[in-house]
Amino acid sequence: MSRLTGFLPPALARPFAVIGGLLFLIGAMLPWATFLLNDGPYPDKATLQFFDAPLELTGYRWNVLLFGAAAIIATFAPTPGKARVLRALGWGGLAISAISSIFIAGKGGGLGAITATDGSYAFGGIVGAVGGIVLILAAGAMPLPDIPHWSTKIFGLEGWAGRIAAWVALLIAFAAVLYMVQLTLTVGGIGGAAFPYAGPIFLAFLGFAGGLLGALHGMGITGWVSRLSEENRAFSIVVLLLCAFALPFTEAGNQYWMQVAATIGVYAATAIGLNIVVGLAGLLDLGYVAFLGIGAFVAANLSGAAASTVGWNIPFPLAALLSAVIAGIFGAIVGSPTLRVRGDYLAIVTLAFGEIFYRTAQNNIGTLTGGASAIPGIPPITMFGTAFNEPIKLFGTELPTGVLYYFLIVLVVAAVMAVFANLKNSRIGRAWIAIREDEDAARAMGIATGRAKILAFMCGATLAGLAGAIFVHKLGTASYDSFKFLESVTLLAAVILGGMGTIPGAVLGASLLFVLPEKLREFEDYRLLVFGLALIFIMRFRPQGLVPDRVRRAEFAGETAEGKSIEEIQEKAVLEQELELEREHEAPSGPKEAGR
Amino acid sequence: VGTLLQQIANGIVLGATIGLIALGYTMVYGIIQLINFAHGEVFMVGAFGGLAVYRWMLPVSWQEQWYIALPLMLLGGVVVAVVIAVIMERFAYRPLRNAPRLAPLITALGVSVALQEAIRIWYPDADAAQPFPRVFIDKQITIGPVEISASGLLLIAVSIGLSILLQAYVSRSRMGRAMRATSQDRDTARLMGVNPDRVIVLTFILGAALAGVGGVLYGSWITNVDNSIGFQNGIFAFTAAVLGGIGSLRGAVIGAFIIGLIKNLGGQYLPGGTQYDYVWIFVVLILVLVFRPQGLFGEAERVRA
Repeated sequence: MSRLTGFLPPALARPFAVIGGLLFLIGAMLPWATFLLNDGPYPDKATLQFFDAPLELTGYRWNVLLFGAAAIIATFAPTPGKARVLRALGWGGLAISAISSIFIAGKGGGLGAITATDGSYAFGGIVGAVGGIVLILAAGAMPLPDIPHWSTKIFGLEGWAGRIAAWVALLIAFAAVLYMVQLTLTVGGIGGAAFPYAGPIFLAFLGFAGGLLGALHGMGITGWVSRLSEENRAFSIVVLLLCAFALPFTEAGNQYWMQVAATIGVYAATAIGLNIVVGLAGLLDLGYVAFLGIGAFVAANLSGAAASTVGWNIPFPLAALLSAVIAGIFGAIVGSPTLRVRGDYLAIVTLAFGEIFYRTAQNNIGTLTGGASAIPGIPPITMFGTAFNEPIKLFGTELPTGVLYYFLIVLVVAAVMAVFANLKNSRIGRAWIAIREDEDAARAMGIATGRAKILAFMCGATLAGLAGAIFVHKLGTASYDSFKFLESVTLLAAVILGGMGTIPGAVLGASLLFVLPEKLREFEDYRLLVFGLALIFIMRFRPQGLVPDRVRRAEFAGETAEGKSIEEIQEKAVLEQELELEREHEAPSGPKEAGR
Repeated sequence: VGTLLQQIANGIVLGATIGLIALGYTMVYGIIQLINFAHGEVFMVGAFGGLAVYRWMLPVSWQEQWYIALPLMLLGGVVVAVVIAVIMERFAYRPLRNAPRLAPLITALGVSVALQEAIRIWYPDADAAQPFPRVFIDKQITIGPVEISASGLLLIAVSIGLSILLQAYVSRSRMGRAMRATSQDRDTARLMGVNPDRVIVLTFILGAALAGVGGVLYGSWITNVDNSIGFQNGIFAFTAAVLGGIGSLRGAVIGAFIIGLIKNLGGQYLPGGTQYDYVWIFVVLILVLVFRPQGLFGEAERVRA
């Protein structure tokens, strides 16, 4: 990206930005495919003629149109963080156009879908992509502004009026988040053979969402909202929980999406647990999924399933607690080598533990795991006389099957988040971070590093065990195959992709890694390949993750916690030091001054 | 006693395979302190490279003559393995050389997954196990109560021969000296006129070449290959390298034979049988790392984050 800066002379920045925006507008209104694709028409009227019905556009073409209009307005209006906004819009539009065009060309038999032999054309995607590039170049020619820092005092209001204004702003922001989440789940519909367009539509939507978020971030709005919610913590937590509970009442409230959301929740809870070990304490754990597995098998044996050996039937809360505790004990065992082993050797030890768990579970050790035939027929959770896999009626709305699991998991994820946040800011949390940064220094500061590290493993394992208990009830079977090495890698990737050491990071990472395969069913074969490549690229280009921890971002990107370049600060410091030295040379300071 | 000797023989053949991989692990770790998770996949890719030569490049008449087919397959395997390793080093690891320690390790995981999947998706029919031709003389050789295939004997001979050659190269040649210097202190080595980048690439090339040879010979011994052989044997090899003392060439080879024996004897005599043979290897790995992290022949532990 830095190579694109200064490609254009600054004088051309504005005209180019306008051209880019116009290209978006034109591209959106041009047709994007010349004929009906094999699996039916590509949605959103891809075969419309130019200007046929520009106001009826929906979906990705509407998004491009929106970005074009926004870019033109942003060019002329006094937009805060202008270059950043234009750059985000450019990349977003480019992503939407490129993804859609590539898919149309690929599905529609090559370029034929873009220029047909009968002379009809469908350059919409290409025009849009060019517009994106032009816009990015234009943004690169502008001076890159600092991200604006808005005051959290809305209109300078004080006291109750200010607080209410903040609440209203937060309500609007969270409602928007809820809407985006709902849209993210449902956009493009359910992937798979029945609807092959789900994948590209979803990816194009991600391009839109990314561009939008980037633009908002560039204008300083996301930062402002997060500061606002920081100041009104209790209120934000309540509203966010309400939003999560409101999801089943939106369009996403059908059985399928509730199930997907519940699965994501389980992995998100697990990922937050892993985040304690990896993100906070900096101990790479490559066998983490084993704890999910231990929790799952314990809960399976305590569920009263006919196929389980223990076969006790104890109430779910108790069983979940036991699962968590036993997983925690194993966490302490697995963590104990940390007393002697460091760095990547530790990663290998945890990998070995994970593999031992997998193999022993596969061989049905002590007939506890069912081996190759798994433990089938685990009954759903039953609490308060309701089986959790039944549809319920709430506030006059018929809610789909599985919604109770969703509610339960929302609560669990919220609890796990609370645990994580409190741990992070506690004495032990700071000890973990100290160990992550420099173990020897931490020890020198009086931290009992061994105990802290084992505690990190225990906490992480406990959370995973709890998640495992829900996981197994929701799934209905406990099979060793759900806990293989690749699952550990996936969870790790979720933590890293999201950003190590942050809560939203782990949740976002888990959501992305588990929603994407759901949406891209068609490309299921390539899932792991893309996944492996993604790991390589993240480490190469954005090792701090999507939602970086402030301290961690500083470490990776050479920036301070405020987002300023360390290099610049260092240069400044060096200059100042030199100046100081010069001054000292000119006027040798007396002993009194030197003592200061 | 017959079974015992037979299992020992099998263990030694497996150990020879693992040794060829472990050398690459130990060299790379010795120089850049990176656990190159993807090294096992280099071995796997080498096996598939050799198979490709046999299937699509050799005319049928040559396929029968092992003294023509085998060298060409080895060459194919080595070339593919080396190319992959060099690309991997250049584009995945080199940009991360000064990154925090965990970053390259995670990248290595990514490379490993991507290579396995790339073979499964794009190599014709590789979504299932592929039969590998028994290129070398197809004969069982009986020594007393022990029966061992000619390919197995070849594997042992080549493995031992190559590790001796490698040891000689590293301890005698000019580049070998540069390698040792780089592994001791990269910055000082640079001051002495060694180009660390070249040395590191050479290390990857040597490791990959050995893994490529190992892949082809292993294929013709076991007679079928799939995309997971790299991961399994890679873990074994890593264990062997650690057991022998990571960074030590001699240790890696000896460790490999020990691991091969543990797997076969453990599968035979320990409770649980062959289903648990993997478990014993991992147990050994953990015990070595916890109680003697410098391994059998390694130097005392250097403190590093």
